Amino acid sequence: MRYADFTPHDLLLLLQGLGVSVALFAATTVIGLAIGLAWAVLRYYRTPLLAPLVAAVAELLKNSPVLVQLFLVFFGLPVLLETDLTPEQAALITLSGNTAAFIYVIAVSAIEAVGREQLETARVFGLSRWQTLRRIVAPQAAAFGLGPLTGLLVNQLQVTSLISVIGVVDLTKVGAILNLRTLKPFIVWTVIGLLYYLMARLIARVCARAEARLRAHSQWKGL
Amino acid sequence: MTFDLTPLAPYLGDLAAGARLTAMACALALAGGLALGIVAALMRTAASPLARRAADAYVDVFRNVPFIVQLFFLFYGLPEIGVELSAFSTGVLALSLAGGAFTSDVIRSGILAVEPGVLEAAQVSGLSRLAIYRRIVLPMALRTSVRPLGSVFVNLVLTSSILSAITLNELTGSAKIVAADTFQPFEVYALLLLLYAAMTWLVSLSAGVLHRRLNRDLG
Repeated sequence: MRYADFTPHDLLLLLQGLGVSVALFAATTVIGLAIGLAWAVLRYYRTPLLAPLVAAVAELLKNSPVLVQLFLVFFGLPVLLETDLTPEQAALITLSGNTAAFIYVIAVSAIEAVGREQLETARVFGLSRWQTLRRIVAPQAAAFGLGPLTGLLVNQLQVTSLISVIGVVDLTKVGAILNLRTLKPFIVWTVIGLLYYLMARLIARVCARAEARLRAHSQWKGL
Repeated sequence: MTFDLTPLAPYLGDLAAGARLTAMACALALAGGLALGIVAALMRTAASPLARRAADAYVDVFRNVPFIVQLFFLFYGLPEIGVELSAFSTGVLALSLAGGAFTSDVIRSGILAVEPGVLEAAQVSGLSRLAIYRRIVLPMALRTSVRPLGSVFVNLVLTSSILSAITLNELTGSAKIVAADTFQPFEVYALLLLLYAAMTWLVSLSAGVLHRRLNRDLG
């Protein structure tokens, strides 16, 4: 006999998938942010060799499908290095790298949006390059970069759905499991889609809050 | 640890067939997405609040739900209501729907960039609404949005790789088969990565050239 009805256990499965998606999204965002910002600092210091290399890697990651990157890491890397990778590890590596590439691009343009004359003024005042970055460039670039970052994060959340293809039991995979068992595609995929939609909305709202706070100093407060 | 591309040589034909399928799906989806995007953009900039709200809802949903979920919804859902489409048609439909949402954003900002004075001049000249859209608004909006449309198309090409999840053997799907046949997944997927990068690079390059050509009199 077929168990084609929804059971209370399905709700648990759904929550588990949601947890996996959120956890991977959060982890890859943090790691991607760290790597991408480090790459941008390399460029800020105009490190020879490393800076152009990073730019090329970011360009390649940006211009190829995440699915292919996932396959390369999950199926290709273990063969090349003769090791084993779990789907979760492969997903973590791929999505972190992909996020880092986009963060790098955002960070570079945010840093360049800070006016040149400010850098010159900072030098005249005798600030070192690191002090200039830390005290003058970074706070302003953060405010500039938050808008594009919001779009990126909403996008990266949707990209996490691709890891279901290599077997990570995330929200989309749970949807596929429930869909095959219950054969009610409309209900299942609508619920899954709705959950992603709500998460995307939440991310956009949190980022908008943060942006308002970061830009508070430049708001006109009256005399 | 070895990196050897030579065993892939006999499979280049398969990969080329996959690339052709990808190109065809993307071309059809580009046409569909452009048509949907123009309609949605016109609705979003229309005076009627009902049209605006409907188009906004469409864009909101298709931008905030992952493409693979949309694809599965259509792939498993459509046969349920008696619409039997091939994997290819379902894929093109899904790509067009998602592409239309992103295209409408670009065209909408193109329309909003048309100066109100131009519209007033057209209205004063007694042109009908259709003529204003067809002869003035759309030509101006479309030609200033060629470059951003290029990046939407680049995204479409990258997104088309997801069609391999519904049994469609486009470039990524055929590469999966080649990887399984040759036992050299790293070489296959590394080559695939470069192929996609080259394709999207060509697309954005030609979009840039076209953009400059169409807008050469704007200074």
